[in-house]
Amino acid sequence: MKISLVGDAAITKSNSWRVRYARMWRESPRSFRIGFMILLFWVVVAIVGPFLAPFGPTQIGTGIPLSGASWEHPFGIDQLGRDVFSRVIHGAHIVLLLSISATLCGLVIGSFLGLLSGYIGGWLDEIIMRVSEAMISIPFLILAMLIVAVAGPQWSGNPILVIVAVAIVYIPRTTRLARAASLDIITKDYITIARLRGEPSLSVVRREMLPNATGVLLVEFATRAGFAPVLIGSLGFLGFGMRPPTPEWGLMISEYRELIFLSPVTLAGPGISLATLVVGLNLCTEGLARMLGRSGEGVSA
Amino acid sequence: MSAKSPILSIRNLSVAYDGVDGFLEVVSDVSLDLVGGEALGLVGESGSGKSTLALQCLGYQHPRARVLQGKVFLQGKDLLNLGFEDLSRIRGKTVSFVPQNPTTALNPAKRIGQLFTELLLHHGVVRSNHVAAKRTTDLLSQVGLPDPNQMIRRYPHELSGGQQQRVCIALALACSPDLVVLDEPTTGLDVTTQEQIIGLLVRLRQQLGLSMLYVTHDLALLSQIADRVAVMYAGQIIEVAPTVKLFKEPLHPYTRGLIASVPHFLSANSKIGARPLQGLLRRADLPDGCRFSTRCEHVTDLCMDTRQRLEATSTDHYVACHRWNHIKVTFNEEKKSERLIRQKAEAILKIEELTVTYHRSGSSIINYFRTPTTPAVHNVSFQIRRGGIFALVGESGSGKSTIAKSISGIQPLDGGKIIFQGSLITASIGARPKNLRKEIQYVFQNPDASLNPRIKISEIIGRQIEILNDCGRDEIGERVMIALDDVRLDRSYAKRYPDELSGGERQRVAIARALIVNPSLLLCDEILSGLDVSVQASVLDLLRRLVLKKDVSMLFISHDIAVVRGLADDVGVLYDGCLVEMGTNEEIFSAPFHPYTEMLMKAVPKLNKKPLFDNDSHQITPSEAKKVGCAFCGRCSKKIGEICEVTPPPWRLFGQSLYIRCHHEGEELKMVPDQK
Amino acid sequence: MLILRMLLSRVLLSIVTLFIVSLIIFSMVELLPGDVVSRMHGRMVTDEQRAIIRAALNLDTPALERYLRWLGQIVRLDFGTTLALNRPINEVLGPKISNTLILAALSFVLYLPMSLIPASIQAIRRDGVVDQGISVVTLILLSTPDFLLATLLLLTFVVFFPLLPAMSIVDHVSTFWEWVRALILPAVTLSLVMSVYAIRFLRDGLIEVLDSDYIRMAELNGLSRRTILWRHALPNALIPTLNVTALNVAYLMGGVVIVEKVVGFPGFGSLTIDAMLMLDVPLIEATVLIAASVYIVANLLADIGAILLNPRLRTMTASK
Repeated sequence: MKISLVGDAAITKSNSWRVRYARMWRESPRSFRIGFMILLFWVVVAIVGPFLAPFGPTQIGTGIPLSGASWEHPFGIDQLGRDVFSRVIHGAHIVLLLSISATLCGLVIGSFLGLLSGYIGGWLDEIIMRVSEAMISIPFLILAMLIVAVAGPQWSGNPILVIVAVAIVYIPRTTRLARAASLDIITKDYITIARLRGEPSLSVVRREMLPNATGVLLVEFATRAGFAPVLIGSLGFLGFGMRPPTPEWGLMISEYRELIFLSPVTLAGPGISLATLVVGLNLCTEGLARMLGRSGEGVSA
Repeated sequence: MSAKSPILSIRNLSVAYDGVDGFLEVVSDVSLDLVGGEALGLVGESGSGKSTLALQCLGYQHPRARVLQGKVFLQGKDLLNLGFEDLSRIRGKTVSFVPQNPTTALNPAKRIGQLFTELLLHHGVVRSNHVAAKRTTDLLSQVGLPDPNQMIRRYPHELSGGQQQRVCIALALACSPDLVVLDEPTTGLDVTTQEQIIGLLVRLRQQLGLSMLYVTHDLALLSQIADRVAVMYAGQIIEVAPTVKLFKEPLHPYTRGLIASVPHFLSANSKIGARPLQGLLRRADLPDGCRFSTRCEHVTDLCMDTRQRLEATSTDHYVACHRWNHIKVTFNEEKKSERLIRQKAEAILKIEELTVTYHRSGSSIINYFRTPTTPAVHNVSFQIRRGGIFALVGESGSGKSTIAKSISGIQPLDGGKIIFQGSLITASIGARPKNLRKEIQYVFQNPDASLNPRIKISEIIGRQIEILNDCGRDEIGERVMIALDDVRLDRSYAKRYPDELSGGERQRVAIARALIVNPSLLLCDEILSGLDVSVQASVLDLLRRLVLKKDVSMLFISHDIAVVRGLADDVGVLYDGCLVEMGTNEEIFSAPFHPYTEMLMKAVPKLNKKPLFDNDSHQITPSEAKKVGCAFCGRCSKKIGEICEVTPPPWRLFGQSLYIRCHHEGEELKMVPDQK
Repeated sequence: MLILRMLLSRVLLSIVTLFIVSLIIFSMVELLPGDVVSRMHGRMVTDEQRAIIRAALNLDTPALERYLRWLGQIVRLDFGTTLALNRPINEVLGPKISNTLILAALSFVLYLPMSLIPASIQAIRRDGVVDQGISVVTLILLSTPDFLLATLLLLTFVVFFPLLPAMSIVDHVSTFWEWVRALILPAVTLSLVMSVYAIRFLRDGLIEVLDSDYIRMAELNGLSRRTILWRHALPNALIPTLNVTALNVAYLMGGVVIVEKVVGFPGFGSLTIDAMLMLDVPLIEATVLIAASVYIVANLLADIGAILLNPRLRTMTASK
């Protein structure tokens, strides 16, 4: 008989992790679904919005400046005569694009560095860790500002600079996280087996380690992506991000700050949008973390 | 029958867990009585629901557990109806608990004394700190801990595992409870420590007349301590009987299988169990009738449909099987050993003066203060014959894994040589050529950690030959299938992921992975320790067969001397990094013995045996021993005197090839007979 | 003594990190491709000005020499001279740092109860309505960028309920009450942001402690809920608290920047922004280095605290 006839202990774990992922979507917590909806909403706005918006982002003369909210101008008109509602819509794709790409860059590079560093160990690990720790010591906003400042005026306002700045802020933090995850993984015997058969390091990282760290890294991606709009908005707010008249939400908040005495609703436009976007991202993150944490066994620390 | 009313009375209890897959019933309609002064053993495999049942005796459920029905009466009070306040008055006072893992059960931030004082004051056993301290020292002496006044001020992590468990036992006794519930208190402790704790419990029972509910998966243990035994399977009690009767005439097929799985030891023709249990306990698909029917050899259609209930077969023997009378009890006749006496072949592996001192891993700056992770090995030399099985026996911390790791190439040496197939090899895996890497393969202890949970079985096994044998893609597929056949796993397993397999099956995959490259030497590091007893037998069987078929030499590391007896050709006994005895299987297991070997053999729980040791004798931590004299002198019952501490003992030859390292000559090394 | 060795090695580590930070800052500012002045100031300066700046920064000396000289100065706590105002940086730093310290202290004092109390409530009444409610509120506050939060608070308490001044500009001649009114807004903003961040960690940390074996054992031994919580759980929860607080200090350094800018408080944060905007190289290097040092020191203190609090380490002697 080829069928296993081994007397064995009870299996209280459920079946394959792939089936588990599929079930996870069906049974995802409410928080995740709400967050996902919000996110979806903004993605749609980002993609389709610019074609449907009533006015252009820099179009002036749309109405009386600083008149309040009305049906035609739900968020009012700013001091230059631009429709705030349209500007917000046009700004959606900027925020999303910048946030996602910066986070992606940071995550990919950071994960790779962290896992490799943990696996190889030795002085390479030491150096990477020390440098990462040092970079993390510089508060993220200050680091981002520093990067923008040292790049000089020719890069000022360039979205690539913003992406680079945020990515550089994220890389060491992700590296540290990936390395911590790797420490748990390399104690496992299957890594030792890979070492014993002389498999090259990169191959081990890619094939054996990475799949076991996806849970952690996914949550990290979601967390960082959720914070990126805030960071980018902060840079914009302080004048280190995109330049006027780009309808970047942080920049807009800064521009409209003086108007709070005269027409507070203009501030509400970019403010509420940014807040809801981040809420959506954070809900997704939290839901994701809970789902992956709960299904336990297949997901490494 | 007993005129006393039971202290504990469980009636129709059913408990379910709210798990990932929905509700899982782990205790089904259980009824049980325990009278005063009685020790009731509760035995079952992991997942049988015994721990859940034990906790219910204190009215405690896991946050995700729910009681579906039933009552638990303790001294007449229904525990399930009481609120937290009332329960907190009962717990620790009327009924107490000894946990499985003493290390995590003691608050690391509190001194031992504080734990007791708090408990005693809370339950009103004492009124002042001063009296509490006195009672604490009394309790600590009672459980055999040395120097109680010192002990009070210590933190839990300063104590050894055995000592921590003694503290837990003392805590359980502190308020003179009517019932003590013990949940696998010796699992995870060394065999010799286990022996001591059992001895302590037996003594305490005699002295104090304790009533006990003792939960375990190890049947042999219960023979030493329990008056009655209840056997649990898949949440149901399937047999209850007095201990002696249960072992002499087990009636339920499951009980018979369990008893047959216990390795018999010290018998002349030792062989691992006659008929180990077959099949799997799959909680997902249990039949409506008797839950054991999917694995039972005597099953009939009636069994699958009808729920079996406990019925009395005599005044004190109950069994839940309607066929108990029809099944003949054939018991394990002494079978001839299956171990072939192999020809004296030449050595495939020679270890000479292997030495490893303490190593620290990780960043040098930060880990400067971390405790060393590698136990030391001192001047160990032995040989493994081609095609032979060499067993290295020792307890945890003895360095046996370190030796295996050095051979495999992941642990650097501080001294000595490794000679494989006639040539010296480096102890560094990076420096070894591919064909050498192929020749030595490793199987690890923990089936959960040795397979990558995200990779399919076919790839796990196939990767070995892909890298080490330079096989083509198509050939790999075919060879993986053959490997699965070899370890008796269905070919469909190739597409599965490790978490779909049970522990025993995973271990088979690990073995398949090791053997697929056709190595010359297989290193097995405690590969059975993570498996249930019933599974060990079949995996061992498999191993024996494959080793023969593929003509592989094996280094088999184990702490279980019974298993070694039935498997190995040659044996080396390791204590604290030093070899103390070495010889062939027959020589090792007959007199003369090194005092440590003798201690090991006596510590193995056997059926119908009284425990010997009771004191947690002076434990030497590895770093303390100066390695000047004999490593074992601190615990040796046959210590001569100062010579043992100062002079390294010589190797003495007895018989043809038995080497014992001791200052004694020969007469003193015969075994001291068991006291009955 | 083993503990001494551990502490010493930890301190050594911090010093190494600090050293690497200085290297990073210096290279980013002065070693990136392109002449420092051209790169950073571009066409905003005339050639004359460029020459002046170059002289002031000693750009003709080799990089290593400049770095070492800077390092030497730093060690003596001399941060050089600002470009813009041509005053010693130390003079400029002094009052700003002390202002920010006051703000930070106030924020911290507010943050501790603001985070510990909800987290404890959440941990005890796990998965209940209160727990989820607090989580929702926390989430919303967490998602609001701090500059938005500060602006909204400003809106509320300056425009709608005119209680507080629009600008928190204070100096050494302001009265005590003026200080208080100036500090409330930024302090509340900062502590709110820190609390919201910490509450989640604290909740998880407390829950982990509550789920541990020794807590279960305490319950099985019949101890009361209060005893279990206060005498068994809380002491073991101190360490995660310390960790989170160290992280919050990191946030604080960045957060002051934004908040001070929004309310106009003349502190270290405003100084940093101004330095960056004006491209005042020595000032930039000084402020970033100081910010990093605060984080490193805070972490060091948290680690030392963790070491001292851990009974395992307190009693370790040479044998183990």
